[in-house]
Amino acid sequence: MKIAVVVKQVPDSETRINLAGPAPELDQSGFTRILNPYDAYAVEEAVKIKEAGGEVEVTAITIGPDTVKETIKKDCLAVGCDKAVIITDPALDKADDNAQATVLAAALQRDQFDLILLGIKAIDDDSGQVGILLAEKLGLPHVGFITKLDLGEGNLTAEREIEGGKEVVETSLPAVLTCQKGLNEPRLPSLPNIMKAGMKPQETLTCADLGVEVPANLVDIKMYSPPPARGECKLVEADDPAAAARELARLLNEEAKVI
Amino acid sequence: MPNIAVFIEQRDGALKKVAWQMMSEARRLVDAAGGEVWGVFLGTDAGEASGLAARYGADKVFTLTGDAFATYNSELWGTALAKFCKAQAPQLLLVGSTAMGKDLGPKVSAKLGCACVSDAVGLKLDGGLEVRRPVFAGKCFTDVTVNGDQAVVGIRPNAFVLEEKAAAGAVEAFDPGLDGVDAKAVVKSVEASAGGRVELTEAEIIVSGGRGIKGPENYVLIEKLADALGAAAGASRAVVDAGWVDYSHQVGQTGKTVGPNLYIAAGISGAIQHLAGMSSSKCIVAINKDANAPIFKVADYGVVADLFDVVPALTDEVGKIRG
Ligand SMILES: Cc1cc2nc3c(=O)[nH]c(=O)nc-3n(C[C@H](O)[C@H](O)[C@H](O)COP(=O)(O)OP(=O)(O)OC[C@H]3O[C@@H](n4cnc5c(N)ncnc54)[C@H](O)[C@@H]3O)c2cc1C
Ligand SMILES: Nc1ncnc2c1ncn2[C@@H]1O[C@H](COP(=O)(O)O)[C@@H](O)[C@H]1O
Repeated sequence: MKIAVVVKQVPDSETRINLAGPAPELDQSGFTRILNPYDAYAVEEAVKIKEAGGEVEVTAITIGPDTVKETIKKDCLAVGCDKAVIITDPALDKADDNAQATVLAAALQRDQFDLILLGIKAIDDDSGQVGILLAEKLGLPHVGFITKLDLGEGNLTAEREIEGGKEVVETSLPAVLTCQKGLNEPRLPSLPNIMKAGMKPQETLTCADLGVEVPANLVDIKMYSPPPARGECKLVEADDPAAAARELARLLNEEAKVI
Repeated sequence: MPNIAVFIEQRDGALKKVAWQMMSEARRLVDAAGGEVWGVFLGTDAGEASGLAARYGADKVFTLTGDAFATYNSELWGTALAKFCKAQAPQLLLVGSTAMGKDLGPKVSAKLGCACVSDAVGLKLDGGLEVRRPVFAGKCFTDVTVNGDQAVVGIRPNAFVLEEKAAAGAVEAFDPGLDGVDAKAVVKSVEASAGGRVELTEAEIIVSGGRGIKGPENYVLIEKLADALGAAAGASRAVVDAGWVDYSHQVGQTGKTVGPNLYIAAGISGAIQHLAGMSSSKCIVAINKDANAPIFKVADYGVVADLFDVVPALTDEVGKIRG
């Protein structure tokens, strides 16, 4: 069985974005970069399937600049992926979701994957589209937001989160799944494994190597702006908690008019 | 003259409020730019939906009814909506950023070969389409432009103000012709989680508890206040990781991004990842015994006190106000 984990490197969730005002570009060069937290669930699930036995090969696939190599080594190869395909091309610097999905689809089509796992969304663009677009481009079924996966012979059953509950979905392989918290507990890489990960095969490709032309963007970012400023915090002062609660309820009801 | 189609979401016949919020905004846009607002209903009985659509400003309501639309299937519904968009050619299809909409929007766009923008909070139509959406879980906003003459846009619940504006709401059946379309994946069963409270992303009020609640047995304090307010119950990651509540309650950069009218954070310090997910809430209340907790930097109202005293007292006070 061949599994692809399609992963993205993103700015650390601790990142502060300090924009003074609207700007056409966001300088991200100083940001610390990590594996997209949701993608760690995809990696862990693939590795768990491999550990459960049988002939399983796990390939990590990413689009990103040269700096993704460290993340791929530490958070994919060192925790159990067998090899990596890294697509690095300046033509993809501002590529939108559709363009990225087109290139990823071309990379996936070089091999016969039975299972393609992604995160539900990247915590930088918060888009949550690439998995679905990829499935459409490959003509494969897609199940999103999964919290449980059972593989059968040529098919799978997954649980996915919906409002106020969950759906149990069945589909055939090959399939594209997007993973989230609840699915598993991603492991951390050990130091010896990080050292050894450097020996695993890593292929770096351009779009030309893949024979794919990057489609024109369907969506372009025109402007970045800081979130609207928030007002001062009004501290509720009172002699005792009951009086504080009474005053807070009054303010929410009469001043803010939210209850 | 742009025609805007609004997806009217239902699950088991229950209609989602975000449809009427989107319709109100579509009406405002179209009143300024010309064109029509259309509702698109997929389900078995379009009666209630058509009535409400007319009330919130739909010129037309297209109904896609039949067995295929009794329960949600992403492939069948996605194909049906794409066929609808091809045949009727609206410039814009709006879907709510709900579990269903997040699944459906990109799928429809891929079938149409058009743009999809997710989780939008603002739309501008002058000449082209410009969409405002938060990125980095709300640490920053972007304005994006859309190329091509059709687009699908996912709209965050509660982003747009509901406004009644009666329109013709002429009902027209649309048959997408799904014979021979492979469903690909099949929903075997749906399990409702216990509680029956409103869901986080759709809630107008959210009460969230953090590590300050000290143990799983005390989350009930949060739930009681939530129930008094008709609110959803949320949590910080610390509480979720400790196993005190299910992940579906987590608010933040790796949980749900929410923007309710009122967000009450009790015993939550206000880590950057938590703030990212809730700082676009219209009114924020912090209850924390540490006056220096970062949550007070984003709060509109703060109470520096023990949540074990304040939260139950607030529950009582809310009960008195809301009767
Ligand atoms: C990659 C990554 C992603 C993350 N994503 C998220 C996310 O999506 N959401 C999220 O929430 N966090 C997230 N975090 C975790 C985040 O960094 C914080 O650790 C977490 O938010 C802390 O939760 P807390 O505020 O409940 O706990 P703490 O930081 O421990 O704060 C507890 C607060 O309760 C107060 N308190 C204690 N007792 C009382 C009392 N009796 N009465 C009143 N107040 C009291 C304390 O003063 C304190 O301020 C993420 C972290 C990482 C690294
Ligand atoms: N540049 C990329 N390279 C590889 N995978 C990606 C890339 N962008 C997005 N993905 C995958 O698609 C998922 C959803 O991303 P997005 O649609 O950008 O929110 C991520 O969790 C990744 O699994």
